[in-house]
Amino acid sequence: MKVRVNLYGTLSARIPGYRQSQGIEVELPEGATINDLLVRLRIPESQKAVVAIDGRIRKASDKIPGDAHAQVLQPIHGG
Amino acid sequence: MKFIRVNMSKKTISVDDVPQAYLGLGGRGLTSIMINSEVPPKCDPLGPDNKLIFAPGLLTGTPLVNTSRISIGAKSPLTGTIKESNAGGTVAAALGHLGITAIVVEGQAADGGLSFLRINRQGEASLLPAQDYKGARTYALVKKILENYGEKTSVLCIGPAGEYQLAAASIQASDIDGHPCRAAGRGGLGAVMGAKGLKAIIVDQGGRSADPIADPAAFKAANKVIVKVIKEHPMAGQVMPALGTAGLVAPVNSMGAFPSYNARKGVLEGWEKISGEAMAELIQKRGGNTTHVGCAQCIIHCSNEFVDEDGKYVTGSLEYETIWATGGMTGIVDLDTIARLDYLCDDIGVDTMSTGVAVAVAMDAGYKAFGDGAAAIEMVEEIAKGSEFGKILGNGPAAVGRHFNHSRVPVVKGQSIAAYDPRAMLGNGVTFATSPMGADHTAGNVVGEYLEQKLDPLNPAGQVEASRNLQIATAAADCTGLCFMAYVALGSPEGGAALLKAINAKFGIQLGPDDVPALGLRVLKAEREFNKKAGFTNQDDRLPSFFYEEPLPPHNTVFTISDEEIDSTFDF
Repeated sequence: MKVRVNLYGTLSARIPGYRQSQGIEVELPEGATINDLLVRLRIPESQKAVVAIDGRIRKASDKIPGDAHAQVLQPIHGG
Repeated sequence: MKFIRVNMSKKTISVDDVPQAYLGLGGRGLTSIMINSEVPPKCDPLGPDNKLIFAPGLLTGTPLVNTSRISIGAKSPLTGTIKESNAGGTVAAALGHLGITAIVVEGQAADGGLSFLRINRQGEASLLPAQDYKGARTYALVKKILENYGEKTSVLCIGPAGEYQLAAASIQASDIDGHPCRAAGRGGLGAVMGAKGLKAIIVDQGGRSADPIADPAAFKAANKVIVKVIKEHPMAGQVMPALGTAGLVAPVNSMGAFPSYNARKGVLEGWEKISGEAMAELIQKRGGNTTHVGCAQCIIHCSNEFVDEDGKYVTGSLEYETIWATGGMTGIVDLDTIARLDYLCDDIGVDTMSTGVAVAVAMDAGYKAFGDGAAAIEMVEEIAKGSEFGKILGNGPAAVGRHFNHSRVPVVKGQSIAAYDPRAMLGNGVTFATSPMGADHTAGNVVGEYLEQKLDPLNPAGQVEASRNLQIATAAADCTGLCFMAYVALGSPEGGAALLKAINAKFGIQLGPDDVPALGLRVLKAEREFNKKAGFTNQDDRLPSFFYEEPLPPHNTVFTISDEEIDSTFDF
């Protein structure tokens, strides 16, 4: 399945030629999880990146629904 | 260890050792505990009995990195509650290097006169006439002050809004470059400064009479660890230098919690145009600065300098909350307009958040259309003119709501909420409702817990506890002088131990890990006690009714924490 992905924070610097307006498309097997996506994007665990789909932060073990738009984010604290 | 007390009625200054009752206190702890002890709770915030207190943090003035926050406290004319608002820049370090623990401004200039308070490199304070600067905007004022006193000078000042004693007036602090773009924005403390007749505090940098460090070797070792921890932290070491706090625009919109169009929606149409990523790209393209040092002794560099198409400075550090208030709430998805509004607010001396939300309330009431950037700029300019409408706007969103007889006003205790909708981030709603400061993003912000998946933002379970713990932690953090970014990075076991070691090494004491939250609790209790004496009850710890009634798209949820649960927040 194809997953549309946007990366935020400093994560997009990992993808050469990345353009925020377009994002990227990632091909993953059916039933792939959030963790599979992060592995495919080669985002190390130390970044503590999280993925929002349809307005909700998903768990690493959650399956990615079809036609998903995945927003990959870095935790930021506000204050 | 010096207290400078300035009586504006008598035009007298006394310099004393720190009184016994206030020893060991700094920053918010000092301002709040002093106000609770010395300010009559039912006094007129703009009258002579209120006190305006400026206090660097416990670690400010030491070589420790990122300790340049100054707490400013008083009874707030916006909320009627106790208030502490803190700012970065250079003045806290300048005061710390002179061994000044607090400046306490009392009384009131009798004749509407204006003064400067000047503190020279020897730590000597004097009041100087400033009548010639009546009505001066902050950028022109600070430029003139630096010309007169030298570039190595730190300034805290008010603009026209403070002189008009408007309830959303800020106190502006100069940054490393001498721009008055750092603000103690919340609570209308600029109005208190204006009511005192104090236009600016001018402090020489480079003082050499900082309080001694009890154990310099241990302190140095702790600083080394703290530097390492901050540099290695993903947020403080990477995201902040790249995007600054504006990096929050994407996550909060992605979670459907970005209050937009006066909190009618949780996602702003076109938010990508005003995100931290878009801002950094635009600034870099124009030759501006995205990784900028704003505060003394900073190693994080979360600041930025927004420039126009010609590469000319427009404003300093465009921050998340400002982008939200002047962009999200108003529906203005244009960074140039937002930057202009930020500059105008700093220059006139009003809180960007209260002002942006006030504009949004006016738009929501039908006065102007959402998204009309030119109208927003005209409205903010009215504040400087002192026109009738300008004074209404400068008194904040509640005043605008009253003017238009419009009930959709997102304030608690008179102060606007921040950039996290309570219906989509329930814990932030708890903090907005219960903070002794009125709705406040700096008093116990839960957004990081959601992004770290420690808590589900839409599930009521655990929200009160999270808000409580963060309010306690923040109250303690606000005593140290550390900036929030550094404090978050020091949340690790290694960082926390190093911070404790630094505090103990400075004062020659042996605090344990439990003493830090105990300090936060002590501060909150003093603040709650003051508010209670001022007449506030648990009925004031409530969000506006529309948050309980109007579902917020896209999640279409309302605020679901019960009053009983809210009232248990401070069950200690």
